[in-house]
Amino acid sequence: MNRKYELVYVVSPDATDEQVNELHTQVEGIAQRMGGTIDKTENWGRRRLAYEIGRHKEGTYVLEVIDGSGELMKEIDRRLKVTDLVIRHLVVRVDEVQSVIDRTRTKRSDVSRRRRVARGLPPDRQPGEGQRGDPDDDRDDRFDLGEDMR
Amino acid sequence: MNGRKSFGGGGGGRGRGGQGGQQQGKDGQQRRPMFRRRKVCKFCADKIDDINYKDTRLLMPFVPERAKILPRRISGTCAMHQRKLRTAIMRARQLALIPYTAE
Repeated sequence: MNRKYELVYVVSPDATDEQVNELHTQVEGIAQRMGGTIDKTENWGRRRLAYEIGRHKEGTYVLEVIDGSGELMKEIDRRLKVTDLVIRHLVVRVDEVQSVIDRTRTKRSDVSRRRRVARGLPPDRQPGEGQRGDPDDDRDDRFDLGEDMR
Repeated sequence: MNGRKSFGGGGGGRGRGGQGGQQQGKDGQQRRPMFRRRKVCKFCADKIDDINYKDTRLLMPFVPERAKILPRRISGTCAMHQRKLRTAIMRARQLALIPYTAE
């Protein structure tokens, strides 16, 4: 059964662009061999690390969204562990979390629509309705005023 | 219920306004209790469903200077979102997106 995973790996700053690309093709190769596909690849470029890893202070971040089996991810994980060029990597399963997020989103909009209909309003928010401007800002002002007044 | 007591203990440092009112409240002005900004869960209020480890902009306010995770009693985050926040922060730390400690 195929699941969706996110893989982020941090490549050593010494690596050239070609080496980074090569790593990507390696990962892709493993994925294809084991019946998986890469849905998305994102290169975040070189970023500062929040703390030193080894002696490195920077790293190139690459994100891959992979559709595949657990065995595939295990293999990729193993390969990245032995690759010296990769200084850190993380595999996270995302399909379940994503479905939960989608469910809460649809549920929330459904509830709000139902309530609006019950109040005799059109189900969707009309333009120019509700709080003006940034709602967060608005609330802040009210609180600050209250504090000053006392 | 979580009004005066919890504030007296926890409100010491972290930039919560209106400290001046505390004594007054004790002295007997029960009519007007100290004005306090109600704590709300940021994620519930802003309807953020996805607390993602990649989103450092979202996570950073919850890891102040010492880089420790801000406790619920101070941030006001609800239990569910604090749990999600925690996993997100821990993942981001693994990838060196967020520090474990301040150096």
